[in-house]
Amino acid sequence: MRCANEQVVLHVDLSYRKMWHEIVPEMVVRRFLGGRGIGDWLLWRDLKPGVDPLGPDNPLIFSAGALLGTAAPTAGRATILCRSPLTGFYLKTGAGGRFGAALRFAGVDHIAVRGVSEAPVVLWIEPGSTEIRDASELWGAGVRETHRRLQEDCEDSIETACIGPAGEHRVRYANVMLSVYHSASRGGAGAVMGSKGLKAVVARPGRGSIGVMDPEGFHLASDRARANLLEDPMANNLYHYGTAGDVTVFNDIRRLPSKNWQVAHIEDEEAESLGGRSWEEAGYLKRRRGCSACSIHCHRFTEVGDGPYGGTASGGPQLATVTRGGPNCGVGNVEAVFRFNELCNDLGLDAISTGSSIAWLMETYERGLISSEQADGIEPVWGSEEALLGLTGRIAHRQGIGDLLADETLAASQRVGGDSWQWAVQAKGMSPSGVAMQSALGYALAFAVNPRGPDHLHTETIAEFGATPQAREVIQRITGDERYAVSDIVDKRGEIVRWHEDIYAVTDALGLCAFTTTCAYGIDEGLLAKLFATATGVPMSSEEIMTAGRRMMTLERAINLREGLTRADDTLPWRIMNEPNHDLTGVEDPIVSRAKLDRMLDAYYDLHGWDRERGAPAPQTLRELDLEFALDG
Amino acid sequence: MSGGRLEVDAARCTGCNSCVLTCAFVHEGTFSLSGARIRVDADPISAEYTPRVCIQCAEARCIVACPVNALSRDQGTNTIALDEAACTGCRICVGACPYGGIGFDEESRRPRICDLCGGAPACVDVCRLPEAIRSICPDG
Repeated sequence: MRCANEQVVLHVDLSYRKMWHEIVPEMVVRRFLGGRGIGDWLLWRDLKPGVDPLGPDNPLIFSAGALLGTAAPTAGRATILCRSPLTGFYLKTGAGGRFGAALRFAGVDHIAVRGVSEAPVVLWIEPGSTEIRDASELWGAGVRETHRRLQEDCEDSIETACIGPAGEHRVRYANVMLSVYHSASRGGAGAVMGSKGLKAVVARPGRGSIGVMDPEGFHLASDRARANLLEDPMANNLYHYGTAGDVTVFNDIRRLPSKNWQVAHIEDEEAESLGGRSWEEAGYLKRRRGCSACSIHCHRFTEVGDGPYGGTASGGPQLATVTRGGPNCGVGNVEAVFRFNELCNDLGLDAISTGSSIAWLMETYERGLISSEQADGIEPVWGSEEALLGLTGRIAHRQGIGDLLADETLAASQRVGGDSWQWAVQAKGMSPSGVAMQSALGYALAFAVNPRGPDHLHTETIAEFGATPQAREVIQRITGDERYAVSDIVDKRGEIVRWHEDIYAVTDALGLCAFTTTCAYGIDEGLLAKLFATATGVPMSSEEIMTAGRRMMTLERAINLREGLTRADDTLPWRIMNEPNHDLTGVEDPIVSRAKLDRMLDAYYDLHGWDRERGAPAPQTLRELDLEFALDG
Repeated sequence: MSGGRLEVDAARCTGCNSCVLTCAFVHEGTFSLSGARIRVDADPISAEYTPRVCIQCAEARCIVACPVNALSRDQGTNTIALDEAACTGCRICVGACPYGGIGFDEESRRPRICDLCGGAPACVDVCRLPEAIRSICPDG
């Protein structure tokens, strides 16, 4: 039996085929908790600034959250960290499934992979043994096939983290897929894995077990968390309809960025069939799924029975997949979107960047900057299912026009030229998730300062909409007044973003799902501290645990500054800042102007104790957070 | 008959393993996939999940099959009771259960059979959503 307070790093050098273990010092566990936190600490230490993200010196770190393997509600998340080949900045990506828990049962909490293997390999981890195995015959296989063949090599159940062809071809937004259908997406950790010749990591839980220091206290805290989530209306919606249930919600209020962010609304009938609320009745929903120890169960498994897309079956799709592959490309046929989802999952592609890159191409074609001949004979017009699905396959294999799109919209626009950069809807080189930032200014700020690029999976600020009593109570606690629970004002966005960043970081570090703390709000700082303390025996107050979150955010900032980040990088897509979107009804000023963003950035930097010029943490800030080691960058 | 029984609705199972982890914790004191009296057979590719646990069936084939009469029904709790001293670890009961509801502990060489946690099954408690495992009271 292992105790939750012991954290083991498995170091793997694929160039020299060497492996060794490191025990994380208790002081580091106290300060960085686990998962993303310890991953940050390892990345700061082991990543030399300026190294080629796709070269041997970029460490690829897998970190299981501190509570993984236990039954604490939603303790199923693992984090992957490295320097992103898409943005050149810090990358943290995460996913659920059952891989992270299996990894801990197999005896390892973190894996730090460096070097490059000459031939494809699999890293096989089980209790008491780690092995680098040949994977030449797996190279080229899709994610499902890879898992199936690895499982054939073992009598017990295994869990896998693997790449598909997209990672092998170093698509700059290739995913690592955990437990087959759970995507560690955004920023290209899959390309880094592919560059190392690492096809998969296998975790065999076997008879491994995890103990906690205060079983009674842990059990009570878990029960409380579970009960809170059962009562939460957001969690309930996620169970019934999945994340894609919100398609109709966003469409009804005209907040569904579509056609490469030019409009914010689609036909109601289309939205209804695309949205997760209709899938059960339409016969697409085969099963609701949950990650390890989940008590929300938002994940889906969907199938298409017959017709042109008959036989399509895969995990998901999630909201982002539906909106970026569907309305953002003008596609309204839900069955085509299910096929898009299946392709992204099996090829190992980030659905947001894939859909966004295709949408950019559609607009570029419409505006006459690219021809059908240049697009391999495909006519990339809005709504073309053939274009959506054909281009997705080409991207994963960097085939023809797919090679242009495999580097995302900023790089593609630089090659195509003209004004095409203006409709490359990106910041830091990454396409955003589909939140109408013009009317959700907390999200806008969070997207601008997110160290990995503009999306919601580092900081969800959903409370700013004030949609549930729980959300309004959170805003009351953060700002002192629940009247700030409106999303289109600048005031208090810094406070709201910073609080959500802190708690999101802690949630990641513990390996819980962000839906528990920044969407459903069923687990608060006190419960997080209680779960961590009773599991590890490390005393922890709510203030201390939130400080640990702040410490992570600050160290991530320091990593990015070391890579050359400036204030100018804390920005939003040009289209969001310069083209008023009048399809967003009820919004007086439907852009996030430079002035608005600057006001929010100043307030945000000040709150953090970062200077306004670069957003660099002041020496005093670093000292207060026990980050003296980052003083000299 | 007194005591309750478990009812499994596999179609509702999401494969989260909360029941397995909690069962191991309640019975063994640590979290694991191997120390539980319940398991979830999973095919992650087709998303098929089937919880396997003793459902306290009326005609317990495990009792009949045991060559040394180590299994009996506890009339108070309606669970299958194991006489640890008599059991030889032959696994015949494991194979006899048509529901795959009996596990086996390789270390102690003894079958692992659900004891309904003495009346308030922990697996049911953590499965209030999605309610794939329910506790059926004897009188409805």
